[in-house]
Amino acid sequence: MALSRNEIITRLRDILLSADERKRDIIENCTEDSRLTADLGFSSVSMLYMVIAIEEDMGIRFGDVGTNDFETLGDVVDYIEERQK
Amino acid sequence: MEQENKKRSPLFSLKYLVYDFVKITAGLPGLLWFRPRIRYENEAAKKRIRGGAVIFANHVGFFDPIFVMFAVWYRRHRFICSKEFFESKARWWFKRFGCIPVDRQNFNLGSLRTISEALTEGCLVSIFPEGSINDSGALAAFKSGMVLMALQGKAPIVPVYLRPGKHFYNRLHIMIGEPIDIISRCGGRPSMPQIEEITADLHRKEEELKLLAG
Repeated sequence: MALSRNEIITRLRDILLSADERKRDIIENCTEDSRLTADLGFSSVSMLYMVIAIEEDMGIRFGDVGTNDFETLGDVVDYIEERQK
Repeated sequence: MEQENKKRSPLFSLKYLVYDFVKITAGLPGLLWFRPRIRYENEAAKKRIRGGAVIFANHVGFFDPIFVMFAVWYRRHRFICSKEFFESKARWWFKRFGCIPVDRQNFNLGSLRTISEALTEGCLVSIFPEGSINDSGALAAFKSGMVLMALQGKAPIVPVYLRPGKHFYNRLHIMIGEPIDIISRCGGRPSMPQIEEITADLHRKEEELKLLAG
């Protein structure tokens, strides 16, 4: 069953928290407008890490995405929504 | 240490014809010229590398890929290189040598998948984690992508330190470290701080090899 945007955001927060507990405050308060690099402090490796974690946890297969393809968390949610269809 | 990927690449294949031809024809003059002295960190490091593994080395000059091939001479290497090389006139050679292009400005999932598949198939993937040539004498910080690659390919990481001579005609010194099994160290999926910690440990290991190399 396809997840709603809110459910996707919640799952993403869980993934990000398991990835880096040090950023708990930032992750718990992040929104769809949060910028991955500037606000969440993502590097190219942490971006790919997130994609792999989403694939494993949510069963979604990403295409050949690059680290520059997502600017905000909302972009990731859009992509996941699109892949769920 | 148990490695997960122990498949062997064939002794002869048309796919590797150019690679093997160049390795044989250029290898002997190269050996005579550089006279590599290969040393090992310990007994475990002397053991031949079987199956998929990530080899990493410091990057001091243009010939380093050849030096890494001298270090692990009994295996074919697939080097990770900048995608700009694949857009140059020399792209034919890079393709024939099985190099894997990576976009350094926009590292993509496709490259990571190609690398992890190569490791799963039992290939040796060689990388220079400093990212570019660094002849300052001090090791630059390592990119942590190397750890992600090894984790995805479920492969050990083998540190190699290269110490070319001051002059082009000086003897080459190579120090090979013990393979590092990061899979058993992490257990399940590691966190980003763990990946960064492993990267820092690999940097420390390279520093140790540098000291041993003299």
